[in-house]
Amino acid sequence: MPAILTRHTDDPEQTELDVAQRRGAYDGLREALSRSPDEVIAEVEASGLRGRGGAGFPTGRKWSFIRPVPGQPVYLLCNADESEPGTFKDHYLLRRDPHLVLEGIAIAAYAIRAHTAYIYMRGEYASLAEIMAKAIREAQGAGILGESCLGSGYDLRVSIQLGAGAYICGEETGLIQSLEGKRAYPRVRPPFPAVHGFLDSPTVINNVETLANLPFIMTEGAARFAALGTDRSPGTKLISISGAVARPGVYEVEMGYPLLELLRHEAGGVRLGRRLKAVIPGGTSVPVLTAEEAAPVMIDYESMQAAGTLLGSGGTIVFDEGTSMPEALLRIAEFYAHESCGECTPCREGTGWMAWVLRRLVQGEGRPGDLDLLLRVGHNIEGRTICGLGDASVQPVRSFIQKFREEFEALLPREALAAPAWQMHGHGPRTGRFGPPGEEAALSDPVEGPPNAAL
Amino acid sequence: MPLVTIDGRQIEVEQGTSVIQAADRLGVEIPRFCYHPDLRPEGNCRMCLVEVDGYARPVVACATPVADGMVVHSPHESATASQAVNGVLEFLLVNHPLDCPICDQAGECSLQDFYMHPDYGLHESHVDPAEKVHKHKRVDLGPRIVLDAERCVMCSRCVRFSAEVSGYAEVQFVRRGNRVELVTFEDRALEDPYAGNLADVCPVGALTSRDFRFKRRVWHLESTDAICAGCSTGCNVRIDHFKGKIERVVPRRNPSVNRSWICDEGRLSHEKAQGQDRLLHPRGADGGELSWSEAIARADALLRGGRAGVPGRALLLGSASATNESLLLLRRFGELAFTQRTMDFRLGNEPELVDAREDHLLRRRDKHPNTMGAIHLGFAAQEGGLPLHVRAAEHDAYAALLLVYHPPLVGDESPEAAGALERLIRAVPASVVLTSHRLPFLEAATLLLPVAAWAEEEGTYTNYQGAVQFTGQALRAPGAARSAVAILADLLERVTLRRPDTSPKTLFVELAQAVPAYQGLSFATLSSRSAIAYPPEGRMHYGQEGFAGR
Ligand SMILES: Cc1cc2nc3c(=O)[nH]c(=O)nc-3n(C[C@H](O)[C@H](O)[C@H](O)COP(=O)(O)O)c2cc1C
Ligand code: SF4
Ligand code: SF4
Ligand code: SF4
Ligand code: FES
Repeated sequence: MPAILTRHTDDPEQTELDVAQRRGAYDGLREALSRSPDEVIAEVEASGLRGRGGAGFPTGRKWSFIRPVPGQPVYLLCNADESEPGTFKDHYLLRRDPHLVLEGIAIAAYAIRAHTAYIYMRGEYASLAEIMAKAIREAQGAGILGESCLGSGYDLRVSIQLGAGAYICGEETGLIQSLEGKRAYPRVRPPFPAVHGFLDSPTVINNVETLANLPFIMTEGAARFAALGTDRSPGTKLISISGAVARPGVYEVEMGYPLLELLRHEAGGVRLGRRLKAVIPGGTSVPVLTAEEAAPVMIDYESMQAAGTLLGSGGTIVFDEGTSMPEALLRIAEFYAHESCGECTPCREGTGWMAWVLRRLVQGEGRPGDLDLLLRVGHNIEGRTICGLGDASVQPVRSFIQKFREEFEALLPREALAAPAWQMHGHGPRTGRFGPPGEEAALSDPVEGPPNAAL
Repeated sequence: MPLVTIDGRQIEVEQGTSVIQAADRLGVEIPRFCYHPDLRPEGNCRMCLVEVDGYARPVVACATPVADGMVVHSPHESATASQAVNGVLEFLLVNHPLDCPICDQAGECSLQDFYMHPDYGLHESHVDPAEKVHKHKRVDLGPRIVLDAERCVMCSRCVRFSAEVSGYAEVQFVRRGNRVELVTFEDRALEDPYAGNLADVCPVGALTSRDFRFKRRVWHLESTDAICAGCSTGCNVRIDHFKGKIERVVPRRNPSVNRSWICDEGRLSHEKAQGQDRLLHPRGADGGELSWSEAIARADALLRGGRAGVPGRALLLGSASATNESLLLLRRFGELAFTQRTMDFRLGNEPELVDAREDHLLRRRDKHPNTMGAIHLGFAAQEGGLPLHVRAAEHDAYAALLLVYHPPLVGDESPEAAGALERLIRAVPASVVLTSHRLPFLEAATLLLPVAAWAEEEGTYTNYQGAVQFTGQALRAPGAARSAVAILADLLERVTLRRPDTSPKTLFVELAQAVPAYQGLSFATLSSRSAIAYPPEGRMHYGQEGFAGR
């Protein structure tokens, strides 16, 4: 399997600058500095590289949105917050090849004419921050970074900022807010970070893995990168696979590689010889696939989309036949309820509500209509929030219930299945445009509530 | 300029206008919690979702700029938008407590109003009260504000006011998800001298004003538009009162004067205006109470011995807290009654302070609402000022003094001014003083006449910018006190033998004729444009000759 990112990650010495340099580290930066920033952007655009942070947005295009304003700095922010459940690929790179990431940062910063770059790392990665800080010191000491990088006259300062343990700090505008020392409440777009980003200046946010691809593109050329993978998903992808597999870990695969192939070969198959039940292929924020659905799926953006899910971060979570899907979903829903930043109404209240309903379901205290309630709550969150966390929280709920509905229904107490929905509620039905209960129901309900009890 | 269509109606607006601003201009009502015209939009409540042709998902009207040709459908006509807004409303109520019966906001609560709206409100509840997330209630945020965190809809209006407007940045959210809660840093009391606005911007009953808590259901209140008399800024306010008592004073939006804010001192200044130490009856030098007819007769006799054009000099001392209308009558009385007169209003250096800021927001150092009006009416055209008048009086320059006095409602009268007034009153043989309050330094007057205080008399004030603003009458003056205009009209009637027309409209027309800067102003524009009118040639400065003579 061709490798771009993990060529040298098996050698613990790779974190040392001289070792890394003997293997070609910073050759890509030297190449980039020999060209104009616009030429670098064009090269990356030609490579077809797409963002590895989750959304798969073309990296070169993202950079081309930057329009430097005279007298105003441009910033590059490396997103190393990596908090998506099931995702630990950036950790692998930061830990094992910090100079590769640093070189990618320098190339991107040069291309967008930034002289300051920040690596925003989740707080739990404090030990990696030390590795990274050492790499920065070494590179600065060797004249690679800092003033006049590699003698080119181009200056670049790279600093590290540690987060304090919130998932939302990985969302690009949440990250900017946090970096500015504010509460990580995402910002409404427009304006986009390319126009008003960090400290109101034009800003690019790129994922660690995205940036780590850049040295290869600069040394080997866009064509060789584009030749890897599929037409619209060129290159390779780091997959962090976890759950019920024999060999969980991080694997670099060429885009277009079959998902189950990875599971069987690289990851050693489902643990304890059990049967596969389901796979979440891109972090918990993407829809789950049943074993049957997963069978034909390839690891690339298009194939995933065709199967009704997303490549996302490449965080692959494997469930075997022994997994209770409602319990797994509860765990996921609790994550989103815990991590919702609470800024916008639908996500703040909706994630907590979904977790609440799932909890009582799993505890055997479900109520009739709970599954539809969950779907309806999801519907009312999706597309109506400030940032992607709201949408993300809905994907697992909807897909788990749609694909494993019997398992959820089996948890409902028998009387809940038989009784009409309104009888299980603590207070009576009332009129309203969106309140469906029939008149007989209203008459026979023993518990009367005031018409505005919801207030 | 982009042309936008909202619910079938078209409007052209400037580039950068948001959909909600365009809708507001068209009068299409879009529900909102977080949007506030004087705060930066944050788009967090999601209540203003609208459908836009060509957009896959509903968008927030408050943070979406209009584009040319945009076709917008509000929840009044779009089922998609209505369903979306209804969903948001349901989310807002999931963890909202069932407090309406004991909540001060009830009756003026956005949440109640939106819930009852036929186009997007009302829904079947799917939550048990027992499931609700609980937060802190009755949190003491200092002398002005009480917080009920459970009622908060996290719209961040208060946070933005505190950070962007007052700059004190004292409130912020902590925690995440549905546990988010509003707090002050380390639970400290608010120090913001504008903290009262936090309760005003709060669209629900989360932040309530301590001075109004549990006082009165809002639907019992009567309202009167007025101008704060606390300083020369002239903030636009609404007085909410019940049976002759002021229950609260809240800001009225005026983008060019006070935007949507007032200071706490101004908000509470009615406590002094309607305070305990009011003068309730006309009183002679012997301390005996007089009827009004006796009092007017005595005033007339004291001031001019019953004759017009008395020789001798009179000092007419107006007040920068009196309305333009009463100053106009005071001036006219002076001109008709005396051959020689000195007119002034300066107790200190008001004219120099009129424009001086006390802080970055609203407060000014001149604690009088009508210094500019007094200047425009020519009350300080000559050399003068209180110390000079005292010296002149002590050299027998004045035969009579007619003083209209209102104590400052924010802070106390300066000791220098109080002392000088007392000396002046003692030095002039005949002193007639119109005052709203009983004050030791006025006690020596030959005749004390009780006059209406702020909110008890209507008329206009001219603020530091030269904006002429109408302030209404909310209350009847206590005891036998009467408006300054009525008292001065009585005195004028003695001179001219004809009672002047004192309707606010007539007086304003005369005022507009008398002051060149006010020409072209009409009473109609004054009372329609949220009680504000600007002199056509902009602001006037101290020293400019503002009075046209008779
Ligand atoms: C809730 C949420 C959390 C996110 N967390 C991360 C993260 O931890 N790391 C990351 O690279 N991108 C994360 N993203 C995506 C970023 O917003 C952004 O799209 C990405 O960093 C862009 O980099 P790329 O173009 O290189 O993919 C998150 C997005 C959302 C909505
Ligand atoms: S969607 Fe959720 S995480 Fe994103 S801004 Fe809204 S509340 Fe915060
Ligand atoms: S306290 Fe009121 S103004 Fe402040 S965030 Fe809550 S609801 Fe909004
Ligand atoms: S700033 Fe002046 S006019 Fe405005 S409320 Fe305060 S005292 Fe009144
Ligand atoms: S008013 Fe638009 S999101 Fe709150």
